[in-house]
Amino acid sequence: MNSLQCMHEDRVVSAVLSGTWPSEDDALTTHATHCRICSEVVAVAVVLRADHEVARGEAQVPVAGQVWWRSAVRARLESSQAATRPMTWLHGVTAAITIGIMLAVVGFAWPTIVGGAGWLRDVVLPLMATGEISGVVAGVVRHSVFLAAGAAACLVIAPVLLYFVLAND
Amino acid sequence: MGDLTLTDMERLGAFDEAERTFQMTEETFRVFYELTARQLRVYLSRTTGDDRQADDLLQETYYKFLRSNATFASEDHRKHYLFRIATNLVRDHQRRPRVEVAASPATQAGVASPTDAHSAERTATRIDLDRAMAHLKPRERSLLWLAYAQGWSHEEIATALGVKTASLKAMLFRARHRLALILKNPGGRS
Repeated sequence: MNSLQCMHEDRVVSAVLSGTWPSEDDALTTHATHCRICSEVVAVAVVLRADHEVARGEAQVPVAGQVWWRSAVRARLESSQAATRPMTWLHGVTAAITIGIMLAVVGFAWPTIVGGAGWLRDVVLPLMATGEISGVVAGVVRHSVFLAAGAAACLVIAPVLLYFVLAND
Repeated sequence: MGDLTLTDMERLGAFDEAERTFQMTEETFRVFYELTARQLRVYLSRTTGDDRQADDLLQETYYKFLRSNATFASEDHRKHYLFRIATNLVRDHQRRPRVEVAASPATQAGVASPTDAHSAERTATRIDLDRAMAHLKPRERSLLWLAYAQGWSHEEIATALGVKTASLKAMLFRARHRLALILKNPGGRS
């Protein structure tokens, strides 16, 4: 016997679990009343075993088919979710690439945009002030590249916006 | 993206697919379930202290078991693996913040209508045990239940709980000592 276990402990547990406690072996029963470890084993095992017997008889469990069916449906659902996950990633990557291209286009066109703003300030505004509209129109046609760039930006932005708007549907 | 739902056709397909996805056939599962379900349900009920939670965890345990790719040397090994899943689920569940600790419906029913002296005594014992178990840690409850209610050997418990057999004796000794003290002195603390 050591401080954690008694050499008779297993026999005591077996007797309690088999429902034959107090044991027919008087020596074992007497030992259990004096041994600190075995007396604790009896105190705990008798209560737990009795509770187990009653609870097992009263336990209500669903039928096997129901558990199988729920598991099958859940497995299918999780497979579907796993299958759509790469598509979600693909949408995200596409959106990121689109935004990157837009920023690159704006970066390339930036000198032109600055030049256009300068032209507006230096040419168009004085012309409008003096009433020479035809000059303004001619200037606009020459610089229609701005309109084209704006239209292209709209074409790129529209699908991205649509994606985010419809993402929750 | 919105939550996915399955159509009726997909649900029917799921039934066929399950035979390929799960580690056993429906018939094999039915036999295994009949052998283990009640034991597992009681184990979950006693380790969580909550019958409703036990019902949820029962389904969850069998689902995880069916989805696992483990191979088993014997039926006992299969059963120990099932209880290991259940133990891990209980532990994960206990880590989550709890809003309310509900009394077991079985206990409540027992309190309401003890029909005779025997059932009244049984109910009182059950309530004492529930209260005493509530003072123990989840792992201590698992250890004691498997050892003294289900009668598992130390090796079986070590396999199911994922602990070393050598450390199990000390853990079991401490848990048993605590429960014995609480049962002897229900009003006090160990």
